[in-house]
Amino acid sequence: MSLRFDRRSLLKGMLGGSAVYLGLPALDVFLDGNGTAFADGAPLPLRFGTYFWGLGLTDTPTGGTRWVPTTTGPGYEVTPELASLAALKDKVSVFSGFRAIGDGKANLVHWSGHASILSGIAPASPNRFDGASFDTRIADAIGTATRFKAIDVDASISRLPVSYSTRTGNTFATPETTPLALYTRLFGPGFQDPNSPDWKPDPSIMLRQSVLSAVTDERQSLMRNVGKADQVKLDQYFTSVREMETQLAVQLQRPGKCEACVVPGAPKDAPRASSVDVVNANTRTMAKLLAMALACNQTRVFNVVHTAGASETYLAGQSKIYHQITHDEPTDARLGYQPETSKLAALVMQALGDFLTELDAVKEGDGTLLDHSLVMAFSDTGYAKIHSIENIPMFLAGRAGGRHKAGQHIVGKGESVTRVSLTAMQLAGAPVGEFGTGTMKTARPISEVMT
Amino acid sequence: MKHAIASSLVAASIALVVPGMAAAGWTRTYVVEWNEPAMYYGAKSGVIDPGTDCPAGTNPEVDWVKVLVAAGYTEEEAKWLRNPANPTRSPVHGQNQMAFRGKDRANVYVNPTSTPDAGLVGVSGTIAEGIDLDGNAHTGLTSPTGEQGIDNKFYETLGCWKTYRGPPRLSSGALQFNDSMRNGAWTTLIVVTGKGSDPLNDKHVAVGFYLSNDKMVKDGNGAIARDYTFRIKPHAKYEAVFAARTVNGAIVSTKPADVMLRDPSYTQDLELLRARVNLQMQPDGSLKGYVGGYRPWEPVYRGWVNARGPVIEVLTWVQLPAVYYALRRNADFSPGGRKGEKTHISYAMRVEALPAFVITPDATAQVAAVMSYKVQAPQEEERRGAGTFRVVDGIVIDPKMTVQAGPNAVILPSTYQK
Repeated sequence: MSLRFDRRSLLKGMLGGSAVYLGLPALDVFLDGNGTAFADGAPLPLRFGTYFWGLGLTDTPTGGTRWVPTTTGPGYEVTPELASLAALKDKVSVFSGFRAIGDGKANLVHWSGHASILSGIAPASPNRFDGASFDTRIADAIGTATRFKAIDVDASISRLPVSYSTRTGNTFATPETTPLALYTRLFGPGFQDPNSPDWKPDPSIMLRQSVLSAVTDERQSLMRNVGKADQVKLDQYFTSVREMETQLAVQLQRPGKCEACVVPGAPKDAPRASSVDVVNANTRTMAKLLAMALACNQTRVFNVVHTAGASETYLAGQSKIYHQITHDEPTDARLGYQPETSKLAALVMQALGDFLTELDAVKEGDGTLLDHSLVMAFSDTGYAKIHSIENIPMFLAGRAGGRHKAGQHIVGKGESVTRVSLTAMQLAGAPVGEFGTGTMKTARPISEVMT
Repeated sequence: MKHAIASSLVAASIALVVPGMAAAGWTRTYVVEWNEPAMYYGAKSGVIDPGTDCPAGTNPEVDWVKVLVAAGYTEEEAKWLRNPANPTRSPVHGQNQMAFRGKDRANVYVNPTSTPDAGLVGVSGTIAEGIDLDGNAHTGLTSPTGEQGIDNKFYETLGCWKTYRGPPRLSSGALQFNDSMRNGAWTTLIVVTGKGSDPLNDKHVAVGFYLSNDKMVKDGNGAIARDYTFRIKPHAKYEAVFAARTVNGAIVSTKPADVMLRDPSYTQDLELLRARVNLQMQPDGSLKGYVGGYRPWEPVYRGWVNARGPVIEVLTWVQLPAVYYALRRNADFSPGGRKGEKTHISYAMRVEALPAFVITPDATAQVAAVMSYKVQAPQEEERRGAGTFRVVDGIVIDPKMTVQAGPNAVILPSTYQK
């Protein structure tokens, strides 16, 4: 008997008087015999994530660097601060020489760089972006058929939660800041184990769905009785309600089995100290949880903050924090760089290496989770000593289901960081043709890394 | 495009000579692509190495635990204040309690004499960059080319401070502020005109420094591009006009002027009394040299304090009260006469500028004269605080913090464990 659904099908139904359209996850029944693609030849679902760390990597005022490979193209050399990526370098592309261009706007330190990368607009004021971060466009494109449209994680153990994901530019996502909180969100109450034989819909979710639908029922009569401005507001509100309904509806459907999904045990929270060893351990624990959340099809989009732009991390036992060291440490005349800064940069990069290793450790089909993912890693600054927004280190990791010709070093020669952002969006499947404003506006992705 | 605009403006300028103003015989125009305090570096390598200027090298990092203990804190308290795990220590704004180390825990940033002078080691070498401001070859130091009487007490006072020390274009302070300028924070233009026929040797030369709202453009290597067009923005404060002459391409003041320039520093105001220029036209069309004069020293100190005292102290390895004492001690000029209070200190700024097209404020013509545009300037906008935060008495106060710094602050938390 042939199935009347395929991977493009939407489940349709009526709930509380409203029609519900529900996308479907990558069910085994939709895959080919080898588990490498869908039965019709389309690739396995793609996951996308951003990974941010603060304070860049080490350059020098005379043009030296501790991270930019000397060769371009495939097979780049592993420089000292990229050592943690050595084992995965064939799956990681390095982008150097790209810059944020303010078009006359001042460089807002520890802000303009990543605001430009994420929103495509040099920000006019601190603590807000002048547009949405591009991860939300990817989430809109690939994140609607999972329990969570996106998961935001902040491993930095900062005094305040840190997230750079925003739809408005004013308010930012509320991240999970501890492994236990992340675990509870992903696998606590409400988690639908796709492999459990006695799965049942959660009554509390059904109730919430009913309430939301009831609100929707009254929408039209309310809309008729308010002014145009309020109609716009209501329309935005009901759109968000509908998105929530769609996400909740996923939890009312029996999910397909996920071969790589293994529900992990609850982790212990790390101590509340932001020393780099603790932050890195925190990042790794949260990476394990996130990897399982991706494997269990709980989300396809994530945003990770390792450390904030003005990073609070430090070497345990030292009185100076990394942020301070980047500014106050002189360049060693013999070495040609800031040795303590470079040491800390390498430690911070270790967390990225560990994070990607966790994704790569999850087998999926004939490859790994990382092979079916694209992770864009980047920082806020180039040469941190002077808050430079030139030569901001950026990476694309993972093969993106074969779309990413990974393992290359691309030199930007002063071009806008938005070219890398646009490349990431297109590799991740977002229907975006151009990105950015002013000088940073571009319609040219970096074709060298695209198949 | 840029050349087309400039060419049309050249044509326009022929027809639009300002009434009552003699047209210049020649005009050269520039955009400042680098400016920094003229601090001669006497070492052969690095940025902190021992040299003829500072035989012990750059002033060393301060032992803040020791300083705090000397100010009356217990060692335990001092170590806790410097501990990154201390939640009252902001990674962005430093440790506010460091302000309160004066007598009776007075705030040393606003009351620097409430603590003894820790002593800032100054330059002990004999070479200095800058200008002979007083016309007396017997006062001051000697230039790298042998000129006597270079007056630059600012350098002698602060030249071993890490933020100022280093070879040209490599000190941390110069890198920081010039990066900001080159990224669009401000643009300074220079206009040079002469009445003669030989720009390199002309007895009647005028030099103008102006601001522009047009931002510099970088090439693919991150260098400032030449020959772009900039429009003068009349400014009520930042403008300088000098009378000068040229000798073999050197533009030298013929009489001093009182001027105000945009300073590459937290202070922003570079007020110079009896100011002079000494700029050299380069074969490649660029311009290099100095602008010097006597600047008020107290705003320099306040500029550092208002940039967040504890952050500046820790990042630049200095005790700010020692900077206050050193500037006061070495000030060498009184506007009120020789017997007056020395409120100013001799200073020179190193300037490097590239050829650029400069047009009048109304964008109708290429500039052909040096004049004051102050009457056209809008009322000066109120200046925002340093950066993106509000500094009060040298510190940034977060009202949400449960523990606030102050003379009576409890330093060790109740949960503190040895």
